[in-house]
Amino acid sequence: MSPFFETAATAEDGDLAILHLKRDTLTPITLRSTADDGYAEGAVTNTRFGSFPHSTLIGLEWGAQVRASKVDTGTRGRKGKQVRQDGVAVSMEETTTSPGQPAEPVAHLNNKRKSEELEPEARLEHPVPKKLRTASDRVDSTAVQRAAVATVTPLEAGSGFVHLLQPTPESWTSSLDHRTQVVYIPDYSYILQRIRAKPGQSIIEAGAGSGSFTHAAARAVFSGYPGSENPKKRKLGKVYSYEYHEPRVETLRKEINEHGLDDIVHLTHRDVCNDGFLLTTPDRPSPNANAIFLDLPAPWQALRHLTRIPFEEQVIATTTYLRKNGWTEIDMVEVHNRRMDVRREQVGLKNEGLRGVNASAATVDEAVFRLRDVEQKIGDFHASKIDRQLNAQANAAGAGGAVPNGSGRKVQSKADRLDKIKRDAEERKLYKEGNLVHRTETEVKTHTSYLVFATLPRAWNEDDERACAESWDVEAMMRGERSGGETKKA
Amino acid sequence: MSTSRIQPNTWLFLRLPSRSLKCLEIKPNTIIDVGKLGQFPSNLLLGRPYYHTYEILEKAADEAYSRLRIVTPDELNAEVAADEATPAESRAEPATPGVSDGASLPKAMEEAVVQELKNNRLTIDDASRQALSQEDIEQLKKSSAGKEIIDKILANHAGLDEKTVFSRAKYVLRKRSKYLKRFTVLPMDVGTLILYLHEKEPARILEMREETLGLIMAWSNMHGSHVESSADETSLGKLGTGRWLTVDETGGLLVAAMAERMDILHKYTDEEQFDHPPTNAESVQTEDVEMEDVSATLDGKSSTPASRHIPTPRDFPLPATSNTITLLHPAVQPNVSILKHFGYDSNSPNTDHPLHTHLKCLSWLQLLHPADDPTYRQPDTVPDPELFKWKSGKRGNYHKKQRRWQRCQAVVHDTQRGNFDGLIIASNMDPATILPHTIPLVRGGGHIVIYSPTIEPLVKIMDLYSKDRRAAYIQHLSKGETPSIDDFPLDPRLLLAPTLQTSRVREWQVLPGRTHPRMTSRGGSEGFVFTARRVLPVEGGVEARGNFTGKKRKGATNDAATPGGDIVDAGVGVGGA
Ligand SMILES: C[S@@+](CC[C@H](N)C(=O)[O-])C[C@H]1O[C@@H](n2cnc3c(N)ncnc32)[C@H](O)[C@@H]1O
Repeated sequence: MSPFFETAATAEDGDLAILHLKRDTLTPITLRSTADDGYAEGAVTNTRFGSFPHSTLIGLEWGAQVRASKVDTGTRGRKGKQVRQDGVAVSMEETTTSPGQPAEPVAHLNNKRKSEELEPEARLEHPVPKKLRTASDRVDSTAVQRAAVATVTPLEAGSGFVHLLQPTPESWTSSLDHRTQVVYIPDYSYILQRIRAKPGQSIIEAGAGSGSFTHAAARAVFSGYPGSENPKKRKLGKVYSYEYHEPRVETLRKEINEHGLDDIVHLTHRDVCNDGFLLTTPDRPSPNANAIFLDLPAPWQALRHLTRIPFEEQVIATTTYLRKNGWTEIDMVEVHNRRMDVRREQVGLKNEGLRGVNASAATVDEAVFRLRDVEQKIGDFHASKIDRQLNAQANAAGAGGAVPNGSGRKVQSKADRLDKIKRDAEERKLYKEGNLVHRTETEVKTHTSYLVFATLPRAWNEDDERACAESWDVEAMMRGERSGGETKKA
Repeated sequence: MSTSRIQPNTWLFLRLPSRSLKCLEIKPNTIIDVGKLGQFPSNLLLGRPYYHTYEILEKAADEAYSRLRIVTPDELNAEVAADEATPAESRAEPATPGVSDGASLPKAMEEAVVQELKNNRLTIDDASRQALSQEDIEQLKKSSAGKEIIDKILANHAGLDEKTVFSRAKYVLRKRSKYLKRFTVLPMDVGTLILYLHEKEPARILEMREETLGLIMAWSNMHGSHVESSADETSLGKLGTGRWLTVDETGGLLVAAMAERMDILHKYTDEEQFDHPPTNAESVQTEDVEMEDVSATLDGKSSTPASRHIPTPRDFPLPATSNTITLLHPAVQPNVSILKHFGYDSNSPNTDHPLHTHLKCLSWLQLLHPADDPTYRQPDTVPDPELFKWKSGKRGNYHKKQRRWQRCQAVVHDTQRGNFDGLIIASNMDPATILPHTIPLVRGGGHIVIYSPTIEPLVKIMDLYSKDRRAAYIQHLSKGETPSIDDFPLDPRLLLAPTLQTSRVREWQVLPGRTHPRMTSRGGSEGFVFTARRVLPVEGGVEARGNFTGKKRKGATNDAATPGGDIVDAGVGVGGA
């Protein structure tokens, strides 16, 4: 069973999980109840938001927020006397580790016991049936567990957290290191929609590259596993994937296996331009595909149904090729995807000195107020100059008391004003003040792909037509005899 | 349904030369009338392949209707190729570019375009250059087939040689679409249906576009669940897998798209049956059929000996537990009229359609205040001896009411138990009023996707889940305060990575040397999609951690990213551990 399609209520030992650090920063890990890399806490994943012993993850409900733990790197090697000394820390810093690989070397003896102690505890803490939450019960009925912390004793670090998520093609794609250029979500979601990918179909893709499209396509055609009950005798969906770059094939093959997709994705190491798509298995030579997705430098050399093309000239060569080879409905498009940033924009004098604000006047009234204020201050300044002169004269004359400030108004220093604004801001609900605005996010992934779609209609010959004409007689109607039929206005 | 040949009694599309779509249900022995293009018997299309282009032939003098001819793809493409090709090919079309040279290519393209513009400047667009008058053309149309007309027009067009191959290609295409009596047959599927509806009745589907639907389906992780549940499908004790919740006010388009991906949209048909027309039109089962003397109980057994051999009526079957769509609707009845194109009519359900058991509908009243809903309230029960004295019709009615009640109970309770894999909303209602009732029903890690034709409702949702608001909320909790419902209509901790996005597809014209985006954008709504995942916050607070230096700027903007452990503005991180 693939964790991409079904997961139990809780994350378990051996599961593929996605640690969500923040948006667009996702780390896939394989949960291990034991590990041999020197942490007293067992398997640990380190992120830039803290360390997460797997014992604090296993047994949690999916979607749980998890606090980071203190793991004592200093004890590595010291505590683990029986532990192999070569256990190198596996840094899961999201950019450095290739995804999908188990984060930690697999189980060794000395940790085994620990995990056995751990499990019943974890079960106790999370009785499976979650309390029924009614719609009105909005606050915090989702008691989240600090799994087994007591047993393995990782201490909470006090700051830092992640969320533990089930894998999906989207989270997998977002977490991919860029072995190749990958087909991103806006493109693949449109492609799969456009080629009418449906459960039970077979789809060819070449080249598989990093496997981004592979996962999304597998989800689209998934209609069950072989051997499982199939009462409706439905066809089982398949993705036939081709890639000629051997290391990429190896990595993807491993991932497909770890992701439980062996029965859905059939990966072939092959140069499709030279050798085509026929399968090597003797019983089923052609994949019999409903759709083909080509993501190659020279798609017209390989074949058709549709392609994703980085350069315009390829488009022309491809469409010309398609036209000359019986394809119809040829169409080229480009998908523009934008993410929108939504924020509260704080404009106004009352924001002076605060961070991330626009402290210019928010209204005409504010502007006028500010102008008057400035006028006033200039007036005050001149007045106080006169005062000072008077004072000086008075002092010179030997008189004691200062002459009062010209306007009689107390002047607030800028520092005082900013201080007050800052104090006020703490009481303000900035999250609901200001203007609610949106704009396109600045970080737009702008590599453009051109997508060419085409359809190859099934072949039709005179024999087919004759057989059909026999099945669906029209002669009576042609003679004007209407057998109770009505006219359908299209 | 997914067969490549046209089956009787299915809905399909005809795409006319103008590229507009016609939607019709094809029934055997009927006449299909395509307006000006002509009339032909439906039997001429039945059993024939989809995606082909058909030409309506001139009606023979002794026949009542036109016949059809398949225009082969070769023929179609030869026309295009011949019209646009040869001289251009040598200049702008790279036959097989061996190396893709990104640097030099655009320049080459640019030159080609400049060259083109020059050529076009010499062309004189003048009606007088077309030697055939409009009357001539009308005359021609009466006498011979369209293709001939076009050939004649072209032969009479004096300026054609000066014209570039491209404008010539355009000219030919324009003429062809005007005179050729052709149409292409496309199968009914959600993709083509959305194109059709977006053109014809955009408001009915909340102006949803194909590319937007693609986004919605990907981000909701929509897929079928094919784990066979070992337990009795009708047992109430167990929550199944693959359960999706939706608030769909697109007339059922969204439900159709979900169902298509879950493999429950089409009735299972044997693909190989197409050569044998069914002996009978499909028998439509009405609710009165089979009803007599049957009393269904929860386990499907009948309580009276007389009914032992009669199957339980399928008018109100208990819903499936796995691979299901639960539809929340604002009116008494759900509006899923679009599903009729896929053989499902909620008013007179086809009982062997998968949606009959896999689509569960309930109204907002039934979800929130079931006791106030008449269908949810148990109808009076009548003891068996009494029942036997009733006329069979009355008894049938009685049992029907009981079945309907049981189904309603099952659906309401199943929904209230929550644990849905995902929630998709496309509604006229303010999503801020939908979420408080539905987010608690989604399982941890489940998917939330909201569609809106306009951005404003979703901007509001983004704001309710903003980083600042969440931080303030957590601060309240850590002080032991109850955050006010006015400031926090939704618990901002329950959604992870709230993201707002939009996709638009731009079509390109592909002609040698003149490859550019088509200028056909017709405006309308962009269509926006909000996505997030349901999460389970730790109790107490959490303090973010992160790389403070160099992150300041980002922290200052209220960006939508969820600070997995990223800084929440300094000072609002909340200690709760
Ligand atoms: C842009 S990448 C594909 C990315 C992939 N679609 C994804 O979503 O991750 C192109 C891939 O095609 C492979 N490739 C190129 N020519 C090929 C050929 N003739 N046969 C098989 N694979 C080929 C390359 O090795 C490369 O990995």
